[in-house]
Amino acid sequence: MKKDMIVAVCLAIVIVIMSYIATLGGGLGPLFNGVRPLTIIYLNTTLNIHNPNFTAMSPEAVTAIVWDYRGLDTLFETAVFYLAIIGSVAIYRGIDEKLRISEGFGLSKIVKVVTKLLIPMNIAIATSIALHGHLTPGGGFQAGAAMAVIPMLLIIAFSRYFLLDIRLSRGLALALRSVGLLGIALTVFIPVVIGLVNGLNAYIMQNQAKVNAPVSLPAFVGSSLISGSLIMYNVSEFLAVTFGFTLLFILLSIEEGLVKEQMRGEGVEH
Amino acid sequence: MNINIDEFLANISLISLIAIIGISLYGIFARPNIIKKIIALTIFTDAANLLAILVGFRRPPSIPPVLLNLQPSPEDIRYFTQVAVDPLPQALVLTAIVIGMAVNLLIIFIALQVYRLYGTLDVRKVRRLRG
Repeated sequence: MKKDMIVAVCLAIVIVIMSYIATLGGGLGPLFNGVRPLTIIYLNTTLNIHNPNFTAMSPEAVTAIVWDYRGLDTLFETAVFYLAIIGSVAIYRGIDEKLRISEGFGLSKIVKVVTKLLIPMNIAIATSIALHGHLTPGGGFQAGAAMAVIPMLLIIAFSRYFLLDIRLSRGLALALRSVGLLGIALTVFIPVVIGLVNGLNAYIMQNQAKVNAPVSLPAFVGSSLISGSLIMYNVSEFLAVTFGFTLLFILLSIEEGLVKEQMRGEGVEH
Repeated sequence: MNINIDEFLANISLISLIAIIGISLYGIFARPNIIKKIIALTIFTDAANLLAILVGFRRPPSIPPVLLNLQPSPEDIRYFTQVAVDPLPQALVLTAIVIGMAVNLLIIFIALQVYRLYGTLDVRKVRRLRG
C-alpha cells in the first residue's frame, strides 16, 4: 500500500511538471500557426487535375495518405493486424466446438427482434463507409470496425450457436479474411503487371501515373470518381477487418467449460 | 486581466491529456489485476492517439482535410492548402485504432489463457506459480 502511494505521488508530480512545461508558452502560443511543408505537398496534390504527375486523385487527403502516399506503412500495419489474429487463433488451436441447436438460448424476444431490425441498417452504413472511403471521411478500417459490431450483436442477442446455425464458422471467417488480404496483395501488383504487359515502367502500389512510370489505374468510371486503386484497397481491407474481428469474437465466445475440458483431455501444458 | 478563451481551452485540454496519461500509467504499473492493467493500457492508447491528432491541429479558421469540390480549380486548392488541418497524424491514428483493437484482443486472449492455467489474474500470484 505504501508503495502504491509512492508511485501515485511520483506520477502526480510528473503530471504537474509536464503540464507546467506544456503550457509555459501560454497554451497554443506559437504552436499550430501553420502545418509542415510535407503536409502542404499532400494537401496540394491530393486531388489536383492540373498537376497529373503527382496527384492521388482522391478528395480525401487521409485516405490518399493511407493507401497512396504512405501505402507501404499501411501494408505493414495490415501485417501486424494479420499476426495479432493469427496469434489469437494459435492460442485456440485444436479446440473443437460441438454443434448445438440455438433454440432456447440468447436474450428475450424483444431484443432479438430489435437486433434483426438493426442489422440491415448496420450493413448499409458499413458498406457505405467502405465504398465512399475515397470521397468522404471513412474507409476500409472504419467500415470493418462498424461491420464487426454485427457478429457481436448476434452473439449477445442470439447466443453463439446461432452463428453456427447460419454457417458462419471459424473456417469461413478465416477464409473470407484471407480473400480480403489476397485482394490487397493483388491490388499491390496490378500496376506492375500492366507495366510488364505493355513494356512500361511501373512501381508496386502505384496509383496514378508518375513522370518515369506512365501506368495509371482509372480514376473515373463514367463520371464517378473511384480514385484508381484506393477503392479496391478500401473494399479489400473492409473484408479483411470485418472477418478478422468476426473470427476473434467467435473465438472469444467459445464456452469456457469446453475449452477447459479439452485442455485437460490433451494432458499437455500449454 | 484578460483571458483568451482559445488559449484557456487549449491549456485545459493539454493538462487533462497529460493527467489522463499519468493516471493510466499508474494503472499499468501499480494495479496487480491483469484486466485492470489492460483497461489502463487502452486508456493510455486513446490518450496517445488524441495527442497525435492534436499535433496536426491548425488554428481557426480550419477545415477537415476533405475537398468538397470534385473538380477543384487552382484557387480552391490554394484555399484548401491554407486552411485544412494536417491529415498525416489522422491517417496514422486511423490505422493505429483498428490495429490497437486487434492487439488488445490478443492480449485479452493471453489473459484468458493465464486465468485458465493459473486460476488467477493477480500478477503477483502468477509469478509465484512460475516454474
